[in-house]
Amino acid sequence: MEIGLIALAAALAIGLPAAATAWAQGRIGPAAAASLAEKPELSTTAIILIAIPETMVILGFVVAVMILLRSGGGAG
Amino acid sequence: MIVQMLRVRLAGPRALLDAVLAVVQDLGVLHLDHPKAPEAPRVDGSVRKEKRHLQRLVADLESALVELGEATNPPAPFIPGDWPETIRRARRIRRHAIRLHRARADLSDERVLLLRYREFFEAFESLVGHELTWPDGQAFYVVLRAGAGGAVAELKRSLESAVSGEVELLARELSSGEQAVLILVSPGAASKVAKLLSESRVEELPAPAGIGEKNLLRALPALKARLAAIPAELEAVDREREALRAKEGPWLEALRAWVRDRLLLLDARGKVLAGEHLFILEGWLPRPRFGELEGKVREAFGPQVVVEVVGEETWAAADAPVTLKNPPLFRPFEVVTRMLPLPKYGTIDPTPFVAVFFPAFFGLMLGDVGYGLMLAALAIVLRIKSKPDTTLRAVSQVGGACAATSIGFGFLFGELFGSLGHRLGLHPVFNREEAIIPFLGLSVALGGVHVLLGLVLAAVSAWRRGHKREAMGRGVAFTMVVLTALSLLAAFEVLPSALFTPFVVAVLVAFPVLIILEGLVALIELLSTFGHILSYARIMALGTASLMLAVVANQLVGAMGSVVVGVVFALLFHLVNFAIGVFSPTIHALRLHYVEFFGKFFSPGGAAYEPLGHWHRSPESS
Repeated sequence: MEIGLIALAAALAIGLPAAATAWAQGRIGPAAAASLAEKPELSTTAIILIAIPETMVILGFVVAVMILLRSGGGAG
Repeated sequence: MIVQMLRVRLAGPRALLDAVLAVVQDLGVLHLDHPKAPEAPRVDGSVRKEKRHLQRLVADLESALVELGEATNPPAPFIPGDWPETIRRARRIRRHAIRLHRARADLSDERVLLLRYREFFEAFESLVGHELTWPDGQAFYVVLRAGAGGAVAELKRSLESAVSGEVELLARELSSGEQAVLILVSPGAASKVAKLLSESRVEELPAPAGIGEKNLLRALPALKARLAAIPAELEAVDREREALRAKEGPWLEALRAWVRDRLLLLDARGKVLAGEHLFILEGWLPRPRFGELEGKVREAFGPQVVVEVVGEETWAAADAPVTLKNPPLFRPFEVVTRMLPLPKYGTIDPTPFVAVFFPAFFGLMLGDVGYGLMLAALAIVLRIKSKPDTTLRAVSQVGGACAATSIGFGFLFGELFGSLGHRLGLHPVFNREEAIIPFLGLSVALGGVHVLLGLVLAAVSAWRRGHKREAMGRGVAFTMVVLTALSLLAAFEVLPSALFTPFVVAVLVAFPVLIILEGLVALIELLSTFGHILSYARIMALGTASLMLAVVANQLVGAMGSVVVGVVFALLFHLVNFAIGVFSPTIHALRLHYVEFFGKFFSPGGAAYEPLGHWHRSPESS
């Protein structure tokens, strides 16, 4: 039961930020593509804007790993 | 580094203006700027008219050269002579080149079209003998689309029910899956069948235009003959184009270079303050090149033309143009810096720091000997394929540096295509598969160093441009981040815990100083700085994800039942992981630089240093 809860906590820790990141990128992506069609010189800004929400899922991944490791469920 | 500039002024008799500009153009170091005067320089009407003519001529030349192709060797210089004849000749060549280009395009299009018909020819050809069932009858040729399985049978049924005994239908399947169908009809039933086909929206395959024959059967011999004749015609057009290029190409290129040079000179004239007797021109040049300009002008005009420094350069000169000069080892990384607008004059060029941190972050994320070697091979191929001084060459060099760090960190982590390295006896000094938390600590610590370096550069840049309050504010922010990090280390007993209180007190003392120097916005900036440092956790996250994917790829070998199938799947998986492993760290290393690092000190908006010189074809376009 406890292992299941730990696994669920880790899954939520990465799953929710992943969904949030996907939602944010799903909105930024089309806007960036539309901007690039008119101004190709904005490509750097577009890359940065698309990469910004990934911080959420990356930090979610870190938290998930820490949940697993602290509970003894991971490799370390 | 941003090169230090000097603003200089040249003054002399109006009659010498063109000669002075020619000397300046030959030297190619002076970025002309409008002299600081109550009135902007006026461009006289004759200059505007000449510019219009030359712009039209250069458009003609570019168009002709696009059609003919550029020569590989630099042409001999053009010597201006009879202008009307020169313009006529250029236009004649352009018209000829365009005519040849169109002829070639038309022939190629025709060939492609006829090739599409070839299979139809062959299918119908084998059906031709059947047409004699009704010597005076009519033949219809149709192609039914692929996948319409029962369409032929259905068509046959419909036709027979409409004109029983007066129609014969023969079909062959084409390689595309389409059905080539020949419908032979008696003279009396022809109009009925045509109507039926039209109502069913079954279209007869027409003969290609230009053959002069609408019926495909009768057009077949002409089509085949045309297809056989086209290659020879194409060759003739190519020969004519090659001859035109050999004869006129060098002349066109020389003329283009001359005209473009002249246009640059006329543009420069628009930036010169010229009266009836005197002219004054001002501009920027790199400090070490001043002696060269002064020497050349004195040598050519003696004391008639004066060269003087308008004012000693200061980093605060807002209108000075910007040019970057970095050691050869760092120069390829300008490609990363140049993806953003140039930094303002007097600020910091981040290229040397990018050259150190970008490959380091990339290597930490990829960190695999095998993938590093694959990337090195890719970088070598790019280098071979690219020309010197092009973006592609710079990318290949950056790729090479990233490959080197990936291999280096790969040895440190003991990784060769993931865990395969351990099995082959590669001993990790730092096993990131197990030491996930220490790897996270290392990533965040690196982030701390990078962000703090950004704060130091911000302070230096602000101080150099005379913004002392801002510089001090950045300094206090730097101190607060360091003190906070030390407090945390003391709290977690990495440092003696007795130091915790003094560090916290120091932070509390520094905080109001920061607010006084930079206002309340400093609080938000400070919090975002901590967020930026934590953002470097992505180095650990991406590194671990890349390693895990490689481990999964290796496990596929044993999981597939057959070793051969497992190895094939594992190789494919490694290939995918390599693609992700190159793309993702590149994007995230770029992001860490542009957002977390550059955000602290980088001020975009510098004007590019564009000295008056001779026109050169860009290496990217050749």
